[in-house]
This record gives sequence, C-alpha cells and structure tokens, in this order.
Amino acid sequence: MTELSAADLVGMFNAIAAAIEADRDRLSELDGVIGDADHGVTMGIGFGAVNEALAGLDPASADPTAVFNTAAKTFLNAVGASTGPLYGTAFMRAGAALKGRRTVDRDGMVAAVVAMAKGMQDRGKAERGDKTMMDAWLPAAEAIEAAAAAGAPLAGCLQAAVAAAAEGAEATKTMIASKGRASRLGERALGHMDPGAASAVVILQAMAASVG
Amino acid sequence: MRERAEAIPLQFRDDLLLWAGWLYVHDGLTQNDIAKVMGISRATVNGYLAEARTRGIVSLNIEPSRLGALGIAQALKQRFRLAECIVVPEDDGSRPLVKRLGEAGAGVLRSLLRPGDTLGVAWGRTVMAIADSMSHVAIPDLSVIQVTGGTTATFDFAPERCASRLAEPLGARCISLTAPAVVSSAAARDMLMAEPILREQFDLLRRADKILFGICSTRPDSLIYTSGLIGQAAMTQYHALRATAVVAGRFMDDHGRPVQGELDARMIGLSLEEIGRIKTRIAVAGGPDKVPAVLACLRGGHATILVTDAATGRSVLKADEAPEVSEPQRSSRKIQDMGGKVVRTKKLINDPKNIIEEMLEGVVGAHPRHLRQVTGSPRSVVAVDGPRPGKVGLVIGGGSGHEPTFLGFVGRGLADACAVGNVFASPPPDPILECAKAASGGAGVLFMYGNYTGDVMNFDMAAEMAAMDDIEVRTVLTTDDVASAPADQKGKRRGVAGNFFIFKIAGAACDRMWSLEDCERAARKANASTFTMGVALSPCSLPHTLRHNFEIGENDMEIGMGIHGEPGIAREPLRSADEVTDEILERIFAELPSRKGDKVAVLVNSLGSTPLMELYVISRRVHQRLARKGIGVHATWVGNYCTSLEMAGASISILALDDELTELLDHPCDCASFRAG
Repeated sequence: MTELSAADLVGMFNAIAAAIEADRDRLSELDGVIGDADHGVTMGIGFGAVNEALAGLDPASADPTAVFNTAAKTFLNAVGASTGPLYGTAFMRAGAALKGRRTVDRDGMVAAVVAMAKGMQDRGKAERGDKTMMDAWLPAAEAIEAAAAAGAPLAGCLQAAVAAAAEGAEATKTMIASKGRASRLGERALGHMDPGAASAVVILQAMAASVG
Repeated sequence: MRERAEAIPLQFRDDLLLWAGWLYVHDGLTQNDIAKVMGISRATVNGYLAEARTRGIVSLNIEPSRLGALGIAQALKQRFRLAECIVVPEDDGSRPLVKRLGEAGAGVLRSLLRPGDTLGVAWGRTVMAIADSMSHVAIPDLSVIQVTGGTTATFDFAPERCASRLAEPLGARCISLTAPAVVSSAAARDMLMAEPILREQFDLLRRADKILFGICSTRPDSLIYTSGLIGQAAMTQYHALRATAVVAGRFMDDHGRPVQGELDARMIGLSLEEIGRIKTRIAVAGGPDKVPAVLACLRGGHATILVTDAATGRSVLKADEAPEVSEPQRSSRKIQDMGGKVVRTKKLINDPKNIIEEMLEGVVGAHPRHLRQVTGSPRSVVAVDGPRPGKVGLVIGGGSGHEPTFLGFVGRGLADACAVGNVFASPPPDPILECAKAASGGAGVLFMYGNYTGDVMNFDMAAEMAAMDDIEVRTVLTTDDVASAPADQKGKRRGVAGNFFIFKIAGAACDRMWSLEDCERAARKANASTFTMGVALSPCSLPHTLRHNFEIGENDMEIGMGIHGEPGIAREPLRSADEVTDEILERIFAELPSRKGDKVAVLVNSLGSTPLMELYVISRRVHQRLARKGIGVHATWVGNYCTSLEMAGASISILALDDELTELLDHPCDCASFRAG
C-alpha cells in the first residue's frame, strides 16, 4: 500500500487492538514484575474502546486526522492512568501531523510516527534510558526517519521502526527505571523488560503488518 | 590501655583462653597489649588465641554488608573476567556515593602504582573524587598524563584539573596534553597530532602502564552533555547508533562495541582500541543511572579492574541476567518478589469491570446528603452543598482502592469534588475537568492529589482544558511520605495518608472564602508540615487479577512501603508494635520541625486489614514518644483513612501545627467519612 485512506487507518487500529488482545497476558505478566500487573488489561481496554469508537466513524467522510483524533480522545478517556495521556497525546499529534490530507503516503506515515514519539516525550518527560515506552518509541522514530531519508518504501520504513523498537525494548532489561511507579522498584526491575516498551513493539508490529 | 599485668579478673579465673579472647575481641587489644595485661609473653598470647579459635571461643565475624559486597565483587570478577573488583559496601546512605567511590578508588590506585609508572587519567566527577581522596605519598618517578585534550567546560573536574590534582599528592610529574579534546575538523586534528610536542605526549600516553577512568552514561542528565565536548546534534547521532556508555570521550554500544560517530575524527585522545592496549585499566563508577553504561564497559572488556558500589554491582549482575549472588539473610536492603505466587484472593465482588461504577452507586446511595455524581460524568463526584459563588473550589482525586481516600473527603468544609479513577490508576482528564467546572465558584480552583506520574499528567491536561474554559487552576501535590525519597528530594515523594490533613486544611481555607493565593499557600504549608511513614505486613490484590501484588515473607514486614505496594526502606522480621512505631517515628522526628512546647496532630491509619485494636496500640506509643519530647498532641485520628485494598499494615502521619494550621484543622467540615467541628 502506498496511499492509506481513513478506512485503512481504521483497519490499522483494529489490527493494533487485536494484537494487544492477543498479547494481553504476556504484557500483564511483564507488568506484574514491576507494576500492578494490569498493563495488558489496561491497553486492551483502551484499544478496545478505540475500536468501538472508530466503528461509529463514517470512513467516507472522515479524514486521517479525524481517525487519529477519535482514537486519541477515546483512548485517553477509557484509560486514564499514565498510558492514557501518553497515547492520547501521541494520537492527537499524529492527527495534527496529517491535518489537511485526505490520504496518507509514506512521508505522512513517517511524520505521524515521529509526531507520536515526540508527543509522548513532551507529555511524559521521560528520556532515553528511563526504562519506559520511550526506550522503544524514540529509537523507532529515529529509525523510521533514517529509513525514509535512505529512500525505503513505507513497508521498509515501518520495518525499520519495529526493529529499532524491539532492540530498544530489549535494552530496557539493563535499565533501572527513573520514571513512574516502576521507579520505586530500583534494581528489582533489572533483567525484566519494561511492559510499556513491550507494548510499543506490539503496536508498531501491528501497524507494519497492517499498512506496511 | 592498661600498663601492667593485673590480677586475673574474677569472671576469667578459670579460663585464661576466654580472658585472652575477651581482651582481643571485646577490648580490641593487640597481642602485645594482651601480653602486658595478662603478664605473659606475646608468644603465649598467640598460642592462647589460636587455641581459643580452634575451640570456638573466639570466632571471626565479618560484618554482613561487607560480606555481601565481597560476594558481589567475586561474582563480577568471574563473570566479566576482571583482574580485580572492589565493591564498596552499602552504608546508611548518609555519605555521597561519589565520595565513597573516590575513597575506594584512591585506595586501589595507591596499592597499584609502582615507581616509574606512567598513569593515564581521564576526567569526570568520580576521577576528581579519587584525586580528592588521595593521600600524600610520593611515588618515585611517577608520571600522570591526561588521556584526552582539554575542554571548555566550566566545572572543576575538567581533564587538566583531574590530572594535576591527582599528580600532586603522589609527587608525580604531570603531563597535560597541549591540545583541546575536540577540534573543529578532522584535518585540524591530523595537523595537531603531527605536531612534535603532541606526538611525543601521545607516544608516552600509549605506553602508559595504567589508566584510570570513570564511566559516563549517555542519559540526558549525564556529564557528557555539560562537558562542552559534544553538541546536541552529534549526541543525536550517537543515540541513533545506540551509544550506551562513554569512556574517556569514546562511545560504545550496550555490548561495549565502539560506536564511531562524527566526533571521533575530531577528537584528540586515545581511542578505545588504544586504551585496550594499556595493561591495567581501572574503571571507577557507580549509581543507579550508570548500570547500563557499566555493564556495556564490562561486556566490552574495557576495564581490567572495577571499583563500584554494592547496589550498582548487584544491579549490573542482575541486568546481565546473572544468577543471584547469595547474600546475608538480614540485609538492610529489601529483596522483594513482585507478582509472586499465583494465589486467588477472596473478595466480595461482582464483575471486576463494573466495580468502580457499583462502588459509586453505593457511595452516593449511602451518603445522599453529602455526595452526588455529575450528570453525564458519573466518575466526577461533587459535594452537595460545597461549591458556591466566590469560593475557591477544591478538586481532589486519584485512583480507586484507597477508600475513604478520596471520595470520603468530599463535603462542605473539605473537598468540593473528586475525580475517581480505576483501581490504582489515575482518572482521565475529562472527569477531572467536569469536577473543576462543578467546583468552580468563579474564584479559581485548586487541584490537590498525590504525587504520582499518571495523576500529574491527567490533572495537568485537565488544568489546560479548564484554562480554555476560563477557570484558573492551581495545583498542589501532596508529598508527605518520608520513606519515598530522601529529604533533599522532597519533590519526588509520594502523597499518602497525610493527604487527609493536607486536604482538610486546604478545604478549610477554601470554605473560609480565602483567595486562591491564600488557599494555595495554606495547602503548601500543610503539605510541608505533614510527615507520614507506613509499614506493610501483607500484600493487597487487585479485583481484576485476584493475585498478590507482591510478596512479603510470612514473618516479615516492609518498613516504608507505599500504598500501591511500592517497596519501602527495609524488609525486616516483624517486631513488636512499639519497636515498629519507634522506628517509623525516628524517621519522622528527623524531619519534624516541632520543638518542646509545640503541638501536632496525629493520624494512625490502617492500610486496610489492620484492626483498630492494633492501631490504638500504635497510637498509644506515638503519644508516649511525643510526650517524652514535650510535644503536645492537639488531636488524634485513628482508623481507615487511606487504605490499599486489603493490605495489612499501618501508617503514622504527624502534622506540625502553628496557630493558622490549628485553626484550619479545627474548622468544621461534614463529609461522608469524616466530620469535624
């Protein structure tokens, strides 16, 4: 696919929801090590609600921005906690990055992913090395930009983002959290992947599989 | 010291071995001194002590924390094939880590340096700390040489200063590289490197016998950013290349493989490869933020000798997924298993998905005089007769599972509205915004809640949205939990049971129609005057998981545990109520500003399943201790105020009072769970 319609983006969110649902128990288990074991459940609730809300959207009249904005508002209000504002802001920024477009091409998608990572960082103020989802999202954003600059097609760009996110998530095993509730755990969380970084990989994989 | 032989003390009359052992172990005398005291020869003393050891009268005990450090050092040494590893034992945290590392590093360096050695020295805070701790011992023909060129940095541990400061106490010749660390182009670097004087210095540097360096992380708060060595653009490039650690200005990835960036061609200093050819490579580094960097350095084999601290060492091993290092049973640090045993806890619930809605239905049904839900926003609960024109609105909120916090504190004279989140999860911005609208009387709104990341983000978003509706919002975070961060990082502390006092005082200020400025000031003062610490005896479980959030040993307790099960300060065998109360009070007293003759308010709070009987026993001890200090108790509350589902345990909060706070505390209020005046 080279030009994504609003309907394609709705399909992408459906794919994310399905992937999160399939991985729900693994994500909750990861969270059980360093949090209160509900990350999979929480993400499931959030994307489940997004799915329902997007089903009510008319793909003929909706544009990509409307899809992302609906996802943002729905996810935020269904979740709260700390993932709510982070993904809520991310989707809102992606919507803003696509403003005025009827369809999304490769550069649009790259801009959307980069805007998502930037939005999350602005909201959560987490930095690389804090053992958060940013350890997956920041490398993903860098990789997708680099791949686009090197002339890769959309699929290749998203694949590069997935690979970088996966590597970043793996590296969280060596980190001590300094943000969020996990930061109270100190060294206990070592050797364990951050659940937020793990779900970021799941989301990017689903995006790549669905629209790449 | 006793001068001459004495008569044999009574208790040792029949046992000279015990006497010798006593003098040696208990009185700490040397064998010579013992000989004098006992009136026997030194050789006999030696014999006595040897005999005492074999018969088990004297045994050598190693202090557990040192033993632990030793175990970690050995594990690191084996795993990363180090020639030596020195691990600084854990202390009580009162001395800065960098200073302790500096002392250890100085000791190691001192024992390694030989006459005629050339020592390469990198730079940084830790290297400077080593130089500061170095004793004055001249080593003949020692040369100390900078590993990189100089920088423009303004801090006092720049390359030149590190080298010269270290050279001085050692009486060494100090060789400063006559060049900057980074020049503007590769051509400029090549030109400089070709200069005879620099070539000579580098020849000497490459032949160094030993090199000393710290390990820098690539985290945004790391020294590399303020070093003046590297700009933001170059840093972004190194990040993209997955740089994890920096040694002597050279970057490496998480496996210690060199990362070549734009900077390398312009740097005047040894490369990682050149450093690797120096036989003895001493790395000194520690701190939680440095774990990935230290691990990268060790994986890459860049150090042959590591000096670190116990926590970092243990973390590095754990991050590398090494088998657990066996440690003494009663360690001062907690080892806590999270998400441990699969238990199915018993709860009286229906579908966990509906638990919050069902609880709210129950709350408003039980307290119709106090509370109502906002139409169209059921997770926003408002005081029936709280908000009114001209009054600052007080909005509180947070995750559920802490009842009666926060719902129970909504009512006239206290909070005007409360946003209700899922279990242990912040509410989203919308219900918070609806609360702000409902609470607003045109004089502004105060947001107050515990200092947790999720709450801060959601409430901040709601505040931005409220501003668009022309509602002025001020935020005061509660940070009363003294166990959650050291005193110099109060801003990082969590808000726990002390919320009760802090909200009460803010609510009274609002009810008295004070201005937004004054309400905020009173709220901040209350927060600054409230100190809480808790102890947990058993875990809680979430309705939708029905398994324990963490595990505590059958006979253990966790001092300082948070209300979601965040680990505390120490895990210890359970002791008596008085002993536990005393331990908690010592931490609180260390920060309590009250003096003899002052007054305080006391809250003894159950974390959920600890009964009133036990809370009153604790309260009694708190009163005893305060009385002994001459501090009066103005009022005491005992019961369930801020719970953590069914966690067993209790917390003690103390509010230091002045006239203003006393008046506000006594101001009447009428809530579902609490009434005053």
